[in-house]
Amino acid sequence: MRSRKVTVGVALAACSVFALTLAAWATGSSSRSASPLVGSGTASATKAVCGLGNGKKAKGRPIKIGAINMLIPGVDFTTVAKLSEAYFKCVNDNGGIHGRPVQLIQYTEQLNPAQQASLARKLVGSDKVVGIVANTSFTECGTNWKYFQSKGYVVIGAGVQAECYGTPTYVETNMGPRYSNIGAAQALLKRGAKSLIIASPDTIAAYADGGVLKLAKARGIKGQSVPVKLPVTDANSTILRLVQAAGQGGGVILDFTPDTAPALMKAAIQQGFVDRVKWGSSTPIANEEMAKQFPQFDGKIFINNEFSNLSSKGPDETLYRKINAKYTPKIAIQAFGQMGYMDAKFATIALLKVKGAITAKSYNRAVRGLKNVKTDMLCKPWYVGPLKYHIPNNWDITVTYRNGKVVLADKCFAIAPVDSEIVQTRKWERQFKLNTRK
Amino acid sequence: MTSVLGFTVFGVDWVFLKPYIVLGLALGGVYALSGVGIVVLYQATGVLNLAFGAVGAAGALIAYWMINHTSLPHWLAYTACVAFGGIVNLLYGVLFGPAFAKRDPLVKMMGTLALTLILLGIMAWRAPAGGAFVRVITLPTTNHTYELFGAVVNLTQILALAFAVVLVVGTTAFLRFTRLGTAYRAIADDREITATLGVPVRRVEASAWLGSGIVCGASGLLLADLFTSLDYAALTFLVISSLAAALIGRLRSLWVTFAGGLAVGVVQAILTPYNSVTNYRSATPFVLSIIMLLWLARRRVIVFSPSTR
Repeated sequence: MRSRKVTVGVALAACSVFALTLAAWATGSSSRSASPLVGSGTASATKAVCGLGNGKKAKGRPIKIGAINMLIPGVDFTTVAKLSEAYFKCVNDNGGIHGRPVQLIQYTEQLNPAQQASLARKLVGSDKVVGIVANTSFTECGTNWKYFQSKGYVVIGAGVQAECYGTPTYVETNMGPRYSNIGAAQALLKRGAKSLIIASPDTIAAYADGGVLKLAKARGIKGQSVPVKLPVTDANSTILRLVQAAGQGGGVILDFTPDTAPALMKAAIQQGFVDRVKWGSSTPIANEEMAKQFPQFDGKIFINNEFSNLSSKGPDETLYRKINAKYTPKIAIQAFGQMGYMDAKFATIALLKVKGAITAKSYNRAVRGLKNVKTDMLCKPWYVGPLKYHIPNNWDITVTYRNGKVVLADKCFAIAPVDSEIVQTRKWERQFKLNTRK
Repeated sequence: MTSVLGFTVFGVDWVFLKPYIVLGLALGGVYALSGVGIVVLYQATGVLNLAFGAVGAAGALIAYWMINHTSLPHWLAYTACVAFGGIVNLLYGVLFGPAFAKRDPLVKMMGTLALTLILLGIMAWRAPAGGAFVRVITLPTTNHTYELFGAVVNLTQILALAFAVVLVVGTTAFLRFTRLGTAYRAIADDREITATLGVPVRRVEASAWLGSGIVCGASGLLLADLFTSLDYAALTFLVISSLAAALIGRLRSLWVTFAGGLAVGVVQAILTPYNSVTNYRSATPFVLSIIMLLWLARRRVIVFSPSTR
């Protein structure tokens, strides 16, 4: 009996030492040496700054902003809010919102509607956030749009599902997988693809793949959606099915994040399929980490990019890289980072426009008034406006991999108007002059 | 699909179907390997190790880190992955095994679930998934490929299958012909009586934890290479298929477990081209294990306990 107690004691002691060591390791790794100020100065056509850009630390009671990000095996969307938080830190280091700092409260969810709903209520009811920024999830828009609307909130985020682009509550900086996939399909058709086969996570496939199927039908070629359950456990079989369905010279579009796409791309390489079909992808794998890992796809995969190329030298792109290097050095430069940057930038513009006290009402009114917001990260200015739904990002570029870099393949082009929502959006843009200012 | 040879299987041309069988066997080989590792440990200690996948995933992440962030030779990284599996399992077995020895199998299993959650937490903390960080392990053997029935298999897949066969044959012989193997079987029959006969029960159990851990580390390395990018969560939950294989083998028979692993892999792959069921093929491990349990219930032969103590 005594020896058993001793064993348990030794075990507990060992666990404690282990935990302390890990804690020390983590604390040590997160310490950051003093680095030069970024985002300071005066904004111009060639320079972007964080908020006021005055280099003074913000003080006082923080302005609270909330975010809900999906985190499940196979997909991690927390990067969006992490970069928004980094942008707000930059704003706080540059005078904040007229002297007050911004605090981003981030929660993660696991595709559970009850959890999504309760987090929304916690942010609004308990945390008293004035705005919701950087929400990204497969299903959260559908769960929360009515609640946020009832409370007068307009969410600036990065969307995935239909409700993110079909309700007045959400205004996304990205165009989401449906329109990005259409853009990828346009790139493949331009290069002579004889069919369009698209694979997306099964939870979003019905919405995300629908536009490509419409485009294939309009062009009179074979179109097929292949929903894939995440995490992928049999990548070889999945990729074989896609290539068999496409046929020689057909087009295969992968609509996955860098958590999942590598498994399928590895399988394609192993099975000798890289040259068998024409490969396309939605935005998430348009980054240099992927380009370095998969040189076999150099010039052979055409990725629709909802944003500017990550290596471009535009003012926002340059500032994003600096902010990333200073505040989130462990996160690679990527599309989700661009989304987070823009979400926070647009929210900051709205916050700075508020006259008087910053409340949920005044901030969200300012958000609704945003239009012709220029950024080099998008093909056209971004806007909110008094619309029934919002698809402000509906022009894209195509990129491909080349020698470990992501390079431009097609300049800005309009996403094919196979959906009536895109047709209507472009009418509204002209009617309300939402993105017409040069 | 149009039939090329005039021979279809439920509407899918045999020519299209053949590669899936080959790919399924390759996939099933690793499930079989992991399943056998789980059964050996269960037989020796009565513990159904739910941490099998998490330990393998953590080992693979360590190997990835050594390959990409140090100048150490790659073989050392692979060895570290396998050794990590052995050491973590051994430590768990030595530190917590005796305390759990007399508890119900369910309690023992929950202990390993705790280890899974701890490892998942550490991996999420130190090696978060997501973003643009692409973690991929490619073993040197993966670059050697062979075409078989229209599918390309690589040497790693062949080695995984061969390793599983060797493990089953070796473990069967080990249990039958060695003193330690006899001790395993005696402990499985009755731990207390075996102890009174002078068998160093704790040391024997520790050796089972170590052996199972080494298989666990090797499986983690193989799975990280073959089937996914290095997503710790995905790798951790791949253990479900291996557990199904072990259940099919009633947690007793190594050969049936081996066959069960192959069956899970092949059925999962074969269902891929069938549009009506392809979205449900991830349920294959559960369906096969349920079918097996119902079959055994019919004959009233379900016995999972490794001993009657």
